[in-house]
Amino acid sequence: MSLDKMKRREFLKVLGWGGVGTTLAGCDMPTTVTVQEGKEEVVAYLAPEEYVIPGIGVWYATTCAQCGSGCGVHGRVREGRVLKLEGNPESQVNRGKLCPAGQASLQAHYNPDRITAPRVRRNGQFEQISWEQAFALLDEKAGPSSGLAGDRFAWVSDTVSGHQAVLLKAWMDAIGSRHHYVHEAVNDAVWRAVCRDMLGDENPRLRVDKARVILSFGADFLSTWGSPIHNSTQYSEFRTAPRGVLIQAEPKMTVTGASADLWVPVRPGAEGVLALAIANVLVSKHHRDISSLPAEAQEQIRAYDLDNAARITGVTGEHIIRIAGLLNERGPSLVLAGASAAGHARGYDSVAAAMLLNIMLGNVGKTLESSAGFPFPQLAAKTGGNKELLDFAAALESKSFDVVFFSGTNPVYTAPEALKLKDKLAVVPFKVAFTQFDDETAQQADLVLPLRSALEDWGTHVPAAQPEQMQINMQQPLMEPLYPETRGFGDAILALLKLRKAPQYSAYDDYYAYLRNAFAALPAALKLGTISDQQFWTRAVQKGVIEVGAGRGNLATRVVSFTVAEPAEEGRPFTLVPSAGANLRDGRYANLPWLQEVPDPISKVVWDSWAELHPSAAAKIGVKTGDRVRIESEHGAIEAKVYIYKGMHPDAIAVPLGQGHEAYGRYAQGRGVNPLKILGLATETKTGELANHATRVQVTRIADKAGDKLVKLGGSEVQLGRKLVATVTADVFARTEGEA
Amino acid sequence: MSDQHKDINEDIRWAKINEDVLRSMENPRMGYWVSVVVCLALLSLAVIAEVYQYNTGMGVANLNWPQMWGLYIATFIFWIGMSHSGTLLSAILHITHADWRKPIYRFAEAMTTFTLMTAGLFPIIHLGRLWNMYWVLPYYSDRGIWPNFRSPLVWDAFAIGTYLTSSALFLYIGSIPDLAICRDNARGWRKKLYTALSLGWRGDDRQWRHFRKAYLIMACFLIPLAVSVHSIVSSDFAMSIMPGWHVTTFPPYFVAGALYSGCAGIITLFVLLRYYFRFEDYMTLPILDKTCKLTFAIAMVWTYLNLVEFSSVWYGHDMVAKELLIDKFTGTYSPYFWAMLFLGSVVPFTMAFEKIRRSISAMFVISILLNIGMWLDRWMIVGPTLSASYEPFAFSVSWPSWVQWFIVIGSFGWFGLLFLVFVKVIPSVSMYEVKEMIFHRRHIAHKDIASVMHRRAGDAKPSGEAGLEGVKS
Amino acid sequence: MSLENILTNWSKYRKGAEEGGFHDYEHMWGRVIDLNKCTGCSACVVACYAENNLAVVGKDRFADGHAMHWLRIERYWDEPDLGEGRVAEFQHHGASFLPMHCQQCNAATCEPVCPVAATYHTPDGLNAQVYNRCIGSRYCSNNCPYRLRYFNFFSYYESSWPAPLHMQLNPDLTVRDKGVMEKCTFCVQRIRAVKDKAKMQDRKVLDGEVQPACVQTCPTSAMTFGDILDMHSPGKGVENTQAAALWRKHQVELGKAKQVKQDPELRGYRVLEGLNTDPKVLFLERVREV
Repeated sequence: MSLDKMKRREFLKVLGWGGVGTTLAGCDMPTTVTVQEGKEEVVAYLAPEEYVIPGIGVWYATTCAQCGSGCGVHGRVREGRVLKLEGNPESQVNRGKLCPAGQASLQAHYNPDRITAPRVRRNGQFEQISWEQAFALLDEKAGPSSGLAGDRFAWVSDTVSGHQAVLLKAWMDAIGSRHHYVHEAVNDAVWRAVCRDMLGDENPRLRVDKARVILSFGADFLSTWGSPIHNSTQYSEFRTAPRGVLIQAEPKMTVTGASADLWVPVRPGAEGVLALAIANVLVSKHHRDISSLPAEAQEQIRAYDLDNAARITGVTGEHIIRIAGLLNERGPSLVLAGASAAGHARGYDSVAAAMLLNIMLGNVGKTLESSAGFPFPQLAAKTGGNKELLDFAAALESKSFDVVFFSGTNPVYTAPEALKLKDKLAVVPFKVAFTQFDDETAQQADLVLPLRSALEDWGTHVPAAQPEQMQINMQQPLMEPLYPETRGFGDAILALLKLRKAPQYSAYDDYYAYLRNAFAALPAALKLGTISDQQFWTRAVQKGVIEVGAGRGNLATRVVSFTVAEPAEEGRPFTLVPSAGANLRDGRYANLPWLQEVPDPISKVVWDSWAELHPSAAAKIGVKTGDRVRIESEHGAIEAKVYIYKGMHPDAIAVPLGQGHEAYGRYAQGRGVNPLKILGLATETKTGELANHATRVQVTRIADKAGDKLVKLGGSEVQLGRKLVATVTADVFARTEGEA
Repeated sequence: MSDQHKDINEDIRWAKINEDVLRSMENPRMGYWVSVVVCLALLSLAVIAEVYQYNTGMGVANLNWPQMWGLYIATFIFWIGMSHSGTLLSAILHITHADWRKPIYRFAEAMTTFTLMTAGLFPIIHLGRLWNMYWVLPYYSDRGIWPNFRSPLVWDAFAIGTYLTSSALFLYIGSIPDLAICRDNARGWRKKLYTALSLGWRGDDRQWRHFRKAYLIMACFLIPLAVSVHSIVSSDFAMSIMPGWHVTTFPPYFVAGALYSGCAGIITLFVLLRYYFRFEDYMTLPILDKTCKLTFAIAMVWTYLNLVEFSSVWYGHDMVAKELLIDKFTGTYSPYFWAMLFLGSVVPFTMAFEKIRRSISAMFVISILLNIGMWLDRWMIVGPTLSASYEPFAFSVSWPSWVQWFIVIGSFGWFGLLFLVFVKVIPSVSMYEVKEMIFHRRHIAHKDIASVMHRRAGDAKPSGEAGLEGVKS
Repeated sequence: MSLENILTNWSKYRKGAEEGGFHDYEHMWGRVIDLNKCTGCSACVVACYAENNLAVVGKDRFADGHAMHWLRIERYWDEPDLGEGRVAEFQHHGASFLPMHCQQCNAATCEPVCPVAATYHTPDGLNAQVYNRCIGSRYCSNNCPYRLRYFNFFSYYESSWPAPLHMQLNPDLTVRDKGVMEKCTFCVQRIRAVKDKAKMQDRKVLDGEVQPACVQTCPTSAMTFGDILDMHSPGKGVENTQAAALWRKHQVELGKAKQVKQDPELRGYRVLEGLNTDPKVLFLERVREV
C-alpha cells in the first residue's frame, strides 16, 4: 500500500508542479490514479470520475456531528476533497448558520492525529491489527462463544439518535444488556427533568424569537446550552424590533451573559432564591395572582422578600425590582435555567423555581411549546448527562461488567478524579473504544477501533431540540475515507450485530444498505411527492433533511414540590465554576487547532486554561491578571493564570472546561488544566446529576513557572474614549427602528 | 596644546603636510588590524543574524503585530542622519567660507558616503522578501508595472540613491588633487590605482579652475539634496496617518537631528583619527572647539523643534496624539524617552564650556553620548507609535530580539570596516586644502598676493576682514 | 499603471483624491455589522480560517503577536462612570464586541504608502492585496489605523497544515509564504466566482448572491453584505441590495468624514470615521436597555 502510494506521488511529481495546487490537490486520496508494481495505469484528469469537475466546487448536504444539536450542513467538495462547511438553509435547526465547532469539524476529519487502523493491547502495548483480527477478537470476547450475556456488557456513548441509535439498541438487546450509558459532561439534564415533571415534556421547544423578555439563570443558550445555533437564529429575531430584553443571572459571565441588557452576578447556588424573590416582587408589587400555586410554593415565594433575597443572593434589591418590573410589563417572557443554576445539590429546586416563574407569567404554551408528535420514537435522540457517568462508575465498582464499549465520549477525561474511573476501569477485562482519536479513554481500552469521520460516514440524526417543523437529518459521506482501515459507526455496530444476530443482519452488506432498507420502510406519509423509494432517498440526501411535520399537543403545568436551598458558606472560600465555552465545550474539540487558536469570547485567551476572578476577589488573594494561582478542592488542585474582570461574582472562580488533556493528539495534549478533575462528587438531590457547580475551593497565589504565559489577544481592555463600539439605549432603538 | 588659538600652525611646510598625511596611508600598525578584526567580528554577528532571519522569517527579529518596524528602521534613520555631517562641512561650510573645515571635511565626506552605504542596507534587511527589493526602482518592465510613486518608501529609494551617488562623486572630485599627490608618491599597484583615479591631474591653472567650478557646483547641488533627503525620510512618518508620526515639523526636525548626530559623529571620528594618525597638527583643538560650537547650536535647534512638536500636540485637538505623547513621557517607553531628552538636550550644554570643548577625551565621550541620544530619538519615533495608536485592542509592547540587536551592532562594524579601508586608500585629511588654508592664513598680511592667487585659482575670495580689504585695495 | 496609462488618464488620476479613487466602479462591496445582534461567538472567525487558508500559528507565536486572524473580535469592557469617582462594581451591561476585519476603506491609508503598489483599489471598490507583488515592507500595516493587516513573519505551511490537514486548503486562493502581508479580502474568490457565473449567464449579480464566509455563517445574522454602489441612485451595481438599504436607512454616506444625519439617533457609524479613511463597513450601534 505505502509503496504504491510513494510511486503515485512520484508520478504526480513528474506531472509537473505547476498544476499540483489546483488540479491534483487530492493527491493523497486513493481515487482515480492507480500505479501498480512495474505497470502504470495513468488516468488523465481530462477523464475524471463522472461527478468530478476540476475546479468546480459542488455542495453536498449532510449533518454536523460535532454535538447533539444536529445542524444541517452543506459541504463544498472539489476534486474529491471536502473544503468548507456551511449551514444548510433547508434545515430549520440552524437555517444555514453554523457555530465555530461546526466549521471546525473539517479539522476533526483531516486531523493529523486520527487513528488509522485498529489496535489491540497486548502486554500493555498497543499493536496494530486488521479489522478481521479485531472482529475475531470481538467474537471471542463478546460473541456468543464468549458465554457472556446480558448485564455483563455496558456501552458508554454520547448522544445518539437516528438509525445508529436503532442499531445500538438492537445490539444491546441482542446481548440482553440494559447498560447503555449516555454521558454528556455539558448537558441540560436537570432542566429536562424539571420540564418533564412540570410541563410533561422533556424537551419543550423554546421560543426565543417570540419572547419579549428572557430571564436566564446561567443558561448559556447562545453558546453551549440546548441547541445553541437554533437559539441564535431565534435570538436574531428576538433582537429585532420590537426588541426583547435579555437578563442573565449567573456567577460567571457566559457568552449569553455578555450580550445581556442586564447581567447580574448571583452567588453560586442562590439562583432559586433569586427566582423566588422575583416572584415575590411580582406578587407584592405587581399583584400577580399565585393562589393557584400549591401552598408550599406560595410560602416559599413569601419567604424571600427583597431584604432577605438580597442578602442571600448578593443581587441588589434594585435589580430584583427591575427584573420583576420588566417581566411584568413585557410579555411574553421566557425564563431559563442552565448549568450554573442546576449544578448544585438543590439544583433541581432552583430550576423548578425558575420554571415556576414561567408558569406564573403565563409563558407555558407561548414561549415554551410542546415538542410532542415526533412519529419515530425509536429514532429520537437518546441523551444524558453526568448521572450516567456516576451510575457507570458505581456499576464498575460492583465489578459487574466484563466488556465495556465506548463511543463518542471520553469519560476518562470528563470524570472527576475522585471518581477514580481509571482505576475502576482497570478491572474490566475487555474494553473496546470506537473512536477517531487516541483520547484518554482510548488509551485505557484493550481494543481501539478507528471510526470514520462524520464527513466520511452515513447516518441519520434526530435533534433533541427540534424546530417547529420537526426533521430527520441525513448524514452522507462527502468524500472517500482518508484511511481505508477505518469504519463507519453504523458499519461497526452492524458488524457487531452480525456476531450475534447473523440471520437478521447478514442481508445488509454495510450500513448504507441497512439505511436504504430502513428508508424504504419509512411510512408513505413522509414520501409525498416522490414516486419511488429511490427518488425519496435521492431527495433526502440532496436536501439533507426529511421533514416529519409540526409538533402537536399542549404542555401541562404542574407545580412540583420543591424547596430552594440557600448557598451554604462553608469550608473553602470560593465556589468553582467549571465553565463551558463554545470553542472547546467539554474538551471534545480541544484537538482542533482552529478552536484552540480562536480566542475565548470573554477572556480572549488562546491555547490555554485560565481562572476568572472578580477584581475584589483578586485583591483579597493579592493577584493581578497574569499571576498564577493554585485552586485546591478537597479532591485535588489545579494551577492556572488568572484573568480578572467584573463579570464574576466575588465568591466564584471560573475555570473553563476543555483543556488539560493527557492524550488526544498534538493540539490538545499537555495544555492547561481540566477543572472537572477536582470536582467533588456531591450530586443533585432529585436527579442524581453531578452537582458540578458546587465544589468549594481554596485559591492561593503561587510563583510563576518559567516560560509560562497567559496568551491573550488584545492590548487595551477599554476603548479609551474612541468610538469603536458605541452603545445606544433601547429607547433610541425603539424610536428609530421600532416598527421595522 | 590647549592654549592654542590659531586653527592651524601656519609654519608647517608643504612637504611635511604630504609626509604626515601620506604616512597615515602607509603600512598599518597593530591598532589598525585590531580595529579591522573587531569590525569584522561585529559584521559577522550581523551576517549570522541576517542569514538566520532570511531563512526563518522576519518573526525571529521579534517584529510582530503591530510592531512591524523595529530597530531596523530606527537605525536606518540614524545612519541617514549621520550622513548629513559631511555635506554640512564640505558643502555648506564651503560656500559660507568657513575655512576651518578644511582639515576635517574629507573624512566627514567619507563618513557621508559610508553611512549612506550602511543606512541603505537597513530598508533592504527589513523587507519581508528582500530578494525582490529592486521592485521599488522604476525599471522598465514588459508588464508595465511600476513602483508606486505615491509611496514615501519609493521616494526614499530615489533620495538615498541620488544622495549616495552625489556624495560619492563629491568625495571623489574633492580628492582628485590629493590622489595625484598619492600617485606621485606611490609605487606598485597603488601607483596604477592612483594614476587611474587622479584622471591625469597635473595641477595646472586650467585644471584648477575647472576643478573649483565643478566642486562649487557639486556643493550647491548637494546642499538642497541633503536637506531633501532627510525631509523625505521624515515623510515616511509625516505622510502617514498615525499619531506621533503625522507631525508637520518632522522634516526640519529630522534635518536638524541629522546634522546633530552627524556633527557628533564627526567629533568622534575626529578624536579617533587625531589619536591614531597623530594628526595633532591638522585636527587642532580650535577646530574641535568650532565643531563643538556648531554641534551645540544644532542641538539647540533640535531641542527647540522638539518643544514645538510637544506643544503643538499638547495644544492640538488630536486626542490620540496627545495620549501617545503622555504615554511617551510616562509609559513603557518612558525611560528611553527621558534618556533621549537628557542625552539630546541636556548633555550638549556641557559644550557651553570651552574647557570641555577643548578636551579630547571629554568630547569623545560626549559625542558618543549625543549619538546614543540621537539613536534613541529615532527609536522613540518608530516604537511608541506602533505600540499604541488608534486601535486600543492592538496595543502591545514588544522588545527587539537578539537578531535585531546583532544587525544593529553589526552595522557599526560594517561602517567601521568601510572607514578603515578608506583611511588607507584615500587621504583622510585634504592635503591641498590644508595647504590652501595655511597659505591663506600666512598671506593675509600680503594682501595683493592673496587676491591674485585666488583669482587665478577661481576660488572664492579668502575669508576674513583682511582678505576683503586686500581685494579692495 | 503603465506610463502610457498615466499619460492618457492623467486628469482622472490627478483628480483621483477628490473622487475617491480614479475608478469607474463596477461594484462597491460593503457591509453592515449590527452590534445589537453580534454575540461575539466567533463562528465568523473560524469560518474565515476555513475559507481563507489562514495559518494556525500556535501558542508561542500567538504570544509573540504573529497570529493571522483576518477577522478578530475585539472585546471591550466599558462601564458607565457612576460619578464622584465611582465605577460600577460589575459588568452589568455585558461586554462590547466588535468584529474587526479589513474595512476596505475607499480612501485607504495603506494604499498610497506601499512602495510597489501591492495593495490597490479594484474597480469593485475592494482594497486588494497582491501577494505576488508584496515585498514585505510592512508600511501598509503601520499606516492602518485599525491594525487589520497581518504579516507572514514565518513560513507556516509545514507547521500549520501537517498532513492531511493540508487537504482542507482552499484551492481558490493561495497559501501565503513568509514575508508577505495579508488581510481580509471580503472573500474576493467568492465575489469572483459569482461575477463569472453571472457573466456566463449574461445577467447581473443578484443581491445576496455573494456571501463571504463570515457573513454566511453568522448564527445571529448580524452581518449583511452587498453592493452599495447604487446606494443613492440606480446605476451599474447590484440594485436594491439589503446592505445599501441599511446604509441609506442609517443615513451614512461614503466619502464623508463626518455624517450629517437628519435623525442623529440613527445607529449607523463607521469606526474612526473622523480619520477620513472612508471605510465601507457600517456598524450599527450596540443597544442596551438601561
